[in-house]
Amino acid sequence: MEVAILFLVFVAGLALGIPVAITLGVSSLAYLTIAGIPPVVMPQKMYAGMDVFVLLSIPGFILAGNLMNQGGITSRIVRFANALVGWIRGGLGLTNVAASMLFGGITGTAVADAASIGSVMIPGMKKAGYPANFAAAVTAASSTVGPIIPPSVPMIIVGALSGISVGQMFLAGAVPGVLMGLAMMVTAYVVARRKSFPRQEWKGFGEAARAFGGAFWALAMTFLIIYGLLSGLATPTETAVVASVYAFLVGAFVYRDLPVARLPSILTGSAVSAAGILALVGFANVFGWILVSERIPQAIAEGVLSITSNKFLVILLINLLLLFVGMFMETIAALIILFVPLLSLAQAVGIEPLHFATIAVLNLMIGLTTPPVGVCLFVCAGIARLPLMPVVSAILPFLLTNILVLLMVSYIPALATWLPSILID
Amino acid sequence: MHRAENFTRIVTRAAQWGAALSFAVLIAAVLIQVAGRMAGSSPVWTEEMTRFALLFLVAFGTGLAFRSGDLVNVDAVCEALPGRWPWALRLLSSVVTGALALYLLPHAWRYVAIGKAQTSPALGARMDYVHAAVWLMLALIAVFALIRVLGMLSGSSDGKPIKQHEEA
Repeated sequence: MEVAILFLVFVAGLALGIPVAITLGVSSLAYLTIAGIPPVVMPQKMYAGMDVFVLLSIPGFILAGNLMNQGGITSRIVRFANALVGWIRGGLGLTNVAASMLFGGITGTAVADAASIGSVMIPGMKKAGYPANFAAAVTAASSTVGPIIPPSVPMIIVGALSGISVGQMFLAGAVPGVLMGLAMMVTAYVVARRKSFPRQEWKGFGEAARAFGGAFWALAMTFLIIYGLLSGLATPTETAVVASVYAFLVGAFVYRDLPVARLPSILTGSAVSAAGILALVGFANVFGWILVSERIPQAIAEGVLSITSNKFLVILLINLLLLFVGMFMETIAALIILFVPLLSLAQAVGIEPLHFATIAVLNLMIGLTTPPVGVCLFVCAGIARLPLMPVVSAILPFLLTNILVLLMVSYIPALATWLPSILID
Repeated sequence: MHRAENFTRIVTRAAQWGAALSFAVLIAAVLIQVAGRMAGSSPVWTEEMTRFALLFLVAFGTGLAFRSGDLVNVDAVCEALPGRWPWALRLLSSVVTGALALYLLPHAWRYVAIGKAQTSPALGARMDYVHAAVWLMLALIAVFALIRVLGMLSGSSDGKPIKQHEEA
């Protein structure tokens, strides 16, 4: 009865447009009241949820991304990506994907990627004769590689939930992220061939080298982050803060595009974004605690295993459930609520936690580009000044591609676990 | 009316300063930690200081996140409804947000009081001051929700999020 109320209030709150964190709080409070548990448990569990070591790195990674973004990095990354793949048919579509992959190594959120790359690429592609809906669709679809290629805010959250090291999580995303990017480039190429989109001249190795030189300091941040985490010299939080200092120095003194006067507003903006995520984590921790004390994870695992214990089918069922949830729910909230319950199920059929974590993040990223609640889809349609439907129809081939990659990562564990196993174990 | 605008501006600025300052403390503590390690010995208090700074960053920042829409919601369907529905749902959302925060405030205060008898191991800080971060977070959520509700009812706000760069 109490659990039914918990879910009912939660779904109603989401449907009414109440912030997800508040919805989690209201539904948890309804449960606690009916179950006769004192509400002082709520602030206590919220505090415990936010006071987790690895979460400390979230504001730092957000700040590093914002500093780089305001420091003139986008145009340099786009130029480098364009020098690499712009000469292929549909070149600007491929450039868009490649730029998102490079940008993904700097920011940990997909929306930042969609907004930054989109603001340069969507007008640029329209001007070059590409249909606006294709430009918006390829930007939205490719922005989802951002949180799969390290660094990644969702992967830090998964680390906090499961105890898997952030370094391992980041590395596990690297191969699937690159695979997803390459697959989307192939898709962009196929669409471009069929619709005879334009291509650009190959500008020679000189331009490629110059463009690489321009983007070098930005791209080096990705390696700084990975080195920091893998060398064991720094914790994720230290790596994130050092990356922020690095981003500031590059933006202010190397690229000279970051006005120092804007630093306070960038700091505040990053703090507010981080606070929004961490408050969500705090409220969700109460909700998650209720699920665990009601033994919901075990009930889900037993329920599914009573139908089938076939690993192949269980992976498929988990993926279908996450794809469905991802269509309606914000990624981080979905992770916090569903990750632990589904992990019990995954482990029961012999799926490694690291592999499962990669599948879950990859899956929920796809939800950012599906109607009705795909945030990246809205951002890109907004930049292209289009209603949602034409963008939805143009994104379909990319969605199918991403689902294909998701299935590959789901059924070939080595795609996720191989890199961490050779670099960390 | 003028007074209400002034109040809103002061609360917003204070929360922004609080969030930025907490973030600056977090960054400084981490850099001292890194520098200390490179020099051979890291002070023991930096890790605790970083954690407390994060809690206050969240305390000051969450109300602002509600205000700017960084406290995400699923509004695609609500905003597509006809007529006054989107306005009414935005109002409801703010009322529920404020009501939850207000309801939890006394309970959070009890949690703060629990910390009175405890001190943190490295800094020796009284834990009621640290627990107060949760109370402050709820208080600021309540204030910003109330500001939005009053703004919507008086007609000075449509209840949509206000992004930082849109501010005067």
